Amino acid sequence: MSAAIAHPTFRQKLSAALAETWLRLLFSSRYPGQLALEIIIPIVFAAMPMLLGRASGGAHAAANFQANTGTANYVAYLLIGSNVFMIVTSAFWHIAYWLRFEQETGTLEAIYLTPTSSLTLASGVAIYSTIRSLTSTLIAYLVGCLIFGVNPFQGDVLLALAFIFTGLIPLYGLAFLFGALVLKVKESNALVNLMQWLVSFLMGIFFPVTVLPPLVRALALLFPPTWMVNGVRSALLGVGFFFGAWYRDMAVLWAALLFAPPVSIWVFHRVEHGIRRHEGMGEF
Amino acid sequence: MVPQPGHVRIENLTKVYHTRQRRGLFRAEETEVVALKDLSLEIHPGEIFGLLGPNGAGKTTLIKCLTTLLLPTSGNAWINGYHLTEQDNDIRASVGCMLMGERGLYWKLTGRENLIFFGALYHLSPTDRRRRADAIIEQLGLQDLADRTVETYSSGQKMKFAFAKALINDAPLLILDEPTNTLDLPSARELRAVVRELNQAGKTVIYTTHSMSEAETMCDRVAIIDRGQVLALGTVAELKASLGRDQVIRIEGVISPQASQAVKRLPGVIQATLAAVNGRNQLTVVAQDGHLLLPRLIETLIAHRAVVQKIAPEETTLEDVFIARTGRTLAEDTRIK
Repeated sequence: MSAAIAHPTFRQKLSAALAETWLRLLFSSRYPGQLALEIIIPIVFAAMPMLLGRASGGAHAAANFQANTGTANYVAYLLIGSNVFMIVTSAFWHIAYWLRFEQETGTLEAIYLTPTSSLTLASGVAIYSTIRSLTSTLIAYLVGCLIFGVNPFQGDVLLALAFIFTGLIPLYGLAFLFGALVLKVKESNALVNLMQWLVSFLMGIFFPVTVLPPLVRALALLFPPTWMVNGVRSALLGVGFFFGAWYRDMAVLWAALLFAPPVSIWVFHRVEHGIRRHEGMGEF
Repeated sequence: MVPQPGHVRIENLTKVYHTRQRRGLFRAEETEVVALKDLSLEIHPGEIFGLLGPNGAGKTTLIKCLTTLLLPTSGNAWINGYHLTEQDNDIRASVGCMLMGERGLYWKLTGRENLIFFGALYHLSPTDRRRRADAIIEQLGLQDLADRTVETYSSGQKMKFAFAKALINDAPLLILDEPTNTLDLPSARELRAVVRELNQAGKTVIYTTHSMSEAETMCDRVAIIDRGQVLALGTVAELKASLGRDQVIRIEGVISPQASQAVKRLPGVIQATLAAVNGRNQLTVVAQDGHLLLPRLIETLIAHRAVVQKIAPEETTLEDVFIARTGRTLAEDTRIK
C-alpha cells in the first residue's frame, strides 16, 4: 500500500503538528521585520495611556492610580495589559488568519487531502503562535520596563508565567471556535478587528474590570483572558486576585481549560462537516 | 473491508449543490444544481483511466468526492477498497492527488521544503520525508529548482512540483486533474512519460483532461462525462467503434446556424454541430453511411448560402463520440450558471 499512515500514533501526530509549527516559523523567517514590529507595538500601545495619565494626573498620577487599581506602578500595569493583549490578539489572528490564508491561496484543500486532522494542524499553529507571541511580548515587556525605568522582575515571576501558560489553552480553544466562524463566513480581517477591540475592552488592558458596569463586568469575567491578565498583574504587582487567593483564580482558568477546547473542537468539526457537505473546503 | 490497492468502485453517486443566485443587491434565490447524477463506474487496478468532459461536466466534483474533500449527497464509493465516508482517513493516506495545479503549494517555501512538509502531513518519519523528497526531485529532474522558493518558478515549473507533491506518499492510486495544463509541449510530454512509467510500476491513474488527443494517447479506458452523468465508457477503440456505421464529415467555411440546422434535419444525420475553429466555422456531421449523404449535404449547404472551403470524411475521434452523444463540442462550457 502507500508509505503514508492513515491512523497515526500520538507521536506521529505531534510530529505533523511540529511540521506545521516549523512551516509557520519558516514563513516568519522570510518576513523578519514583523517580529520587530510586534515588539514595538505593545510598548507604543501602553505608552499612550501612560503619557495621557501623567499629563492629566500630574504629580498625583501614581497615587490616584493606586487608589483605583491597587498598585502605584502604572507603567508595569499598562505594559502587562498591552503585552497580554498582544498574546490574546495574536492567538486570534494566527488561528483565524491561518485558515483564511490557506483557503485563499489554495493550500487548504491540499492539506485536507492528507490524513492529518485539522485539530493537529491547529495545534501546530498554536505552538507557533505561542513561541512567536511569547518571544515578542517578553522582549517588549523588558524593553518597555527599561525605557520607562521600572523593575520588570518584581513580584512572583513564576506565578505570572503559570497564569500565562494556563490561560493559553482556553485562549486557543476560543481562537479555534473563532476559526470555525471564519471558515463559515469566509472573512477574517473584519472579524478579527472587531474581536480584538472587544477583547481589549473586556479583559481590561488599561483598567481594572472592577470599574466596568455590573453586567459588562459579569461578561468580562466569563472570558479567560480577563483572568489571565489579572493573574499576571496580581502576581507581579499585587493588585489582588478576584477570589482573594491565586489558586482560586487559577482554578477558574483550569475550569475554562477543561471546558473551552472540547466545545470549540466539537463546533469546529460540525462546521467542517457542513462545509464538506455543501460547497467544499476550498471554496472562498 | 480488505484493502484493494488501485481499485475504485462508484455506485450511484449523486451530488447536489444548493447555490444562491444573486438577484440584485440584496435579493438571492436558492437553486439546486445536480453536479453528479447517479454516477456509477469501476476503475481496475493498474489502468490509466481517463475522465473526459467539457468544463462543468462534473469531473472536478467527482474527484473532490473521491478525495473526500466533498461529501456526496447520496450513493457509495470504495477507493482502494476503503469506503468513501466511513474510512476517509484511509483514503486520504492511500491516494496521491494533484488538484488545483500550482495553487496547492506554499509559494514562500522552496520546492523541497514543500515536499518535506507534505511528507510530514502523510506521517512519514523525518528521515523518510527527506529521502522520498530527494528521490522524487531526482526522478523528475527538478534538482536545479528544488532549493528556490516556489514564487520564483514559472507556471510550468510550479505544475511540475504540484505533480511531485502528489507522489510524496507513494500511493497506489494517483488522481491527476488536468496535470499538463500550463505546461509547454516538451514538459507535457515528459510528464506524460513519467505517468506512464509510474503506471507500468503498478500505480492506477485517474487522469482528467479535456484534450482528446491526450486521452487517446494516455488512457487505457475512458469515461465521457457530461452534466454529471457517464455518457460513454470503454477503451478508446471501443468508444470509437460504438459509432458503428456512423461516419464523421467535417466541413469548413462560412456556414450559418440556419444551414447547420438544415443539415441536422436531413435523413441519416445523427448530429450536426457548428463550432468556430481557428477563426473559421467548422460543421461536424455524424451520419450513417456518410458517403451516400455527401451530395445531399452539399446541396443543402449551398441552398442555405454556405461557402464551403473544405469538406472531408474523417477518422472518428473521441470528440466525435462526444458530439454524437450530446450534440455539443467539448469546448462548450456546460457549467450551470
